Amino acid sequence: MDFLPFLVTQCLNALSQAALLFFLGCGLTLIFGIMRIVNFAHGAFFMLGAYVGYSTVHWTGNFWTALIAAPILVGGFGAAFELGILRRLYGRDGHAFLMVTFGLTLVMGEVIRLIWGVEALQVKPPESLSDIVFILDEPFPVYRLFLAGAGIVVALVIWQFLERTRLGLLIRATSQNAEMVHALGTDVRLVRSAVFGIGCGLAGIGGVMAAPLVTASLGMAPNAVIDTFVIVIIGGMGSFLGSLIGAVLVAFVQVFGTYYFPDFALAFMYLIMVTVLVVRPGGLLGKEA
Amino acid sequence: MTGTSGFSRRALLGATLASPVVLRHALGDEPIKIGMPCALTGPGGEVGEQMRRGAEFWIKSVNAKGGLLGRPIQLYAQDTAGDPATAVRKAQDVVERDGCRLLFGMTLSSEALAVVPKLAEWNAIFISSDNGDGRLTGSSFVPNFFRANTSGPMGTRAVALYLRQANFKNFYALGMDYAWGRNSISVFKDEVKKSGKNFIADIYSPIGTQDFSTYITKIRQSGADACYLVLQGDDNNAFLAQAKQYRLGDKVQLLTEIVDLNSIHAVGEAAIGLIGSSRYTFTFPGEANAQFVAAWKKEYGNVPDVFEGEQWQACQVLQAGIEKAGSIEADKLRPALETVEIDSIKGKVTMRACDHQGVQQGFMVKVVRKEGFADPIPELIATFPADQVTPACRQMTYDS
Repeated sequence: MDFLPFLVTQCLNALSQAALLFFLGCGLTLIFGIMRIVNFAHGAFFMLGAYVGYSTVHWTGNFWTALIAAPILVGGFGAAFELGILRRLYGRDGHAFLMVTFGLTLVMGEVIRLIWGVEALQVKPPESLSDIVFILDEPFPVYRLFLAGAGIVVALVIWQFLERTRLGLLIRATSQNAEMVHALGTDVRLVRSAVFGIGCGLAGIGGVMAAPLVTASLGMAPNAVIDTFVIVIIGGMGSFLGSLIGAVLVAFVQVFGTYYFPDFALAFMYLIMVTVLVVRPGGLLGKEA
Repeated sequence: MTGTSGFSRRALLGATLASPVVLRHALGDEPIKIGMPCALTGPGGEVGEQMRRGAEFWIKSVNAKGGLLGRPIQLYAQDTAGDPATAVRKAQDVVERDGCRLLFGMTLSSEALAVVPKLAEWNAIFISSDNGDGRLTGSSFVPNFFRANTSGPMGTRAVALYLRQANFKNFYALGMDYAWGRNSISVFKDEVKKSGKNFIADIYSPIGTQDFSTYITKIRQSGADACYLVLQGDDNNAFLAQAKQYRLGDKVQLLTEIVDLNSIHAVGEAAIGLIGSSRYTFTFPGEANAQFVAAWKKEYGNVPDVFEGEQWQACQVLQAGIEKAGSIEADKLRPALETVEIDSIKGKVTMRACDHQGVQQGFMVKVVRKEGFADPIPELIATFPADQVTPACRQMTYDS
């Protein structure tokens, strides 16, 4: 393989991986920005997305329906969880959120096991995306191109949503000064529920999109959640742009690190995180820097 | 009317005559109790469940025919969660509390290795149906342990023998980055070199790797015509699904240590073309296997998986031993088992007195799409004779 095709396909690999990481990291950072809590259950929502996706594909035979159904169901469940349980805890310190969201991870894991069983489940990419294209004579899966494209589209949509819509404005305002927003007559609690739901919904989309690559399995949550925390810490807790940069950075380091230094690929990711924390303790675009 | 009443009288008479016999039977003949501590939850849970189903199926069919030595069989299954210390405790429970003198189970080799030193003290015989570790019939051998199944070294040996006759010349290897992955690949590397072929390089992916694109790129670039995979669970499924998306199989033959139905079910089409050793699959030839598969389908509605077959074979070995000894006492059963020979679902299996390893054939399978099956199935592509696959007594390596 020549160097140029190698470089191009590796970059595309990294972008497709960055897209998946971004779906997770973006939701986690939005939730942190508004609510100042780390959602430990984020990986479980990602996993739930994959399983809901599996069932939707199973019943309707259509991957695209799954892409719509999963974020709605997973996001709805997230919002309901915020309304029913998290809302009661805002007066307490951070430990309460840690315990409750961690507990939710365990409960969701068990419930998923009871409903869908222990065996990994196959989710096929849609027929139209399961082919390969030749990029500079190197075969490349169409599905990975789709992932990279979907990541870019979703990033643009969220950016425009935060900048241009009224809810986006409220979200930005709440993350800066929740009391002021409240004083101006907006129900901050509703904003919080909406953000928690949107964040979980994004994790749900990520789960559906990841399923054709890794199958829907009970190991998804722990495997995904660590990379996600690294991204959010590198990018800065609460920063949307930071999570985007973090996802791209981590994906490129993993893909190229694994190629050139296979035994140290994981170490590189953490090395970057440590370096960022030393130089800018709040993350690249974090507020506490 | 007369005919009907005559019939009932005869039936009544028969029942009256028979009842004391039934009574004596129930009082005089204690059931044969078999303890089965195995991993029903945790990492080995799926394998443990298969083992239990295999044992339950055998017990049901034996009891339906009036039991063994005229005695019914009872199973005492216990969950060990795959933990060696728990396995010892649960084994002790079934032996001392429930009075079992026969043991199945111990899903993981680490559990079996922890239990075997206690067998003499308990005066219990343990028939393994899945433990792979070569040491159980080698350095850790005890007289009350019998292995009816194909061991780990025997599986690797089948792959090695296959390599010698196959056309592949350049090999690459990808393994999970822990003891099992690194050990298996080092054994494989030696075998490749012994057969005079070229081993290009090995690479290890961290446990829980989600994105295999770079590993796939490296395998493609290496120019290898075959790649040996030592992956399991989620990692194995993720690799196979992604390799299919990159059409890796068009260029490189994927080889693996063990082919099982679960991972085929999880990745579907992506498993097609995979070649590996198999301890058991329902597609094995022979009348005994055909009958077993048919009976299994009738009971469970699907075909038996690897460890359901292996457990069935272990049960057949035990049954032959008990029938030969006419007893379940360890001192009578042990010598009987040492000379047992059965026509199993995997062909002829002979128990060997010197290390209690069941001498049996080795199998290589290829995953193919077959008419009438929802998932792809493993198809037998090579069989190796028992004397080439089974190591010398109490050994785990092969001289040639």
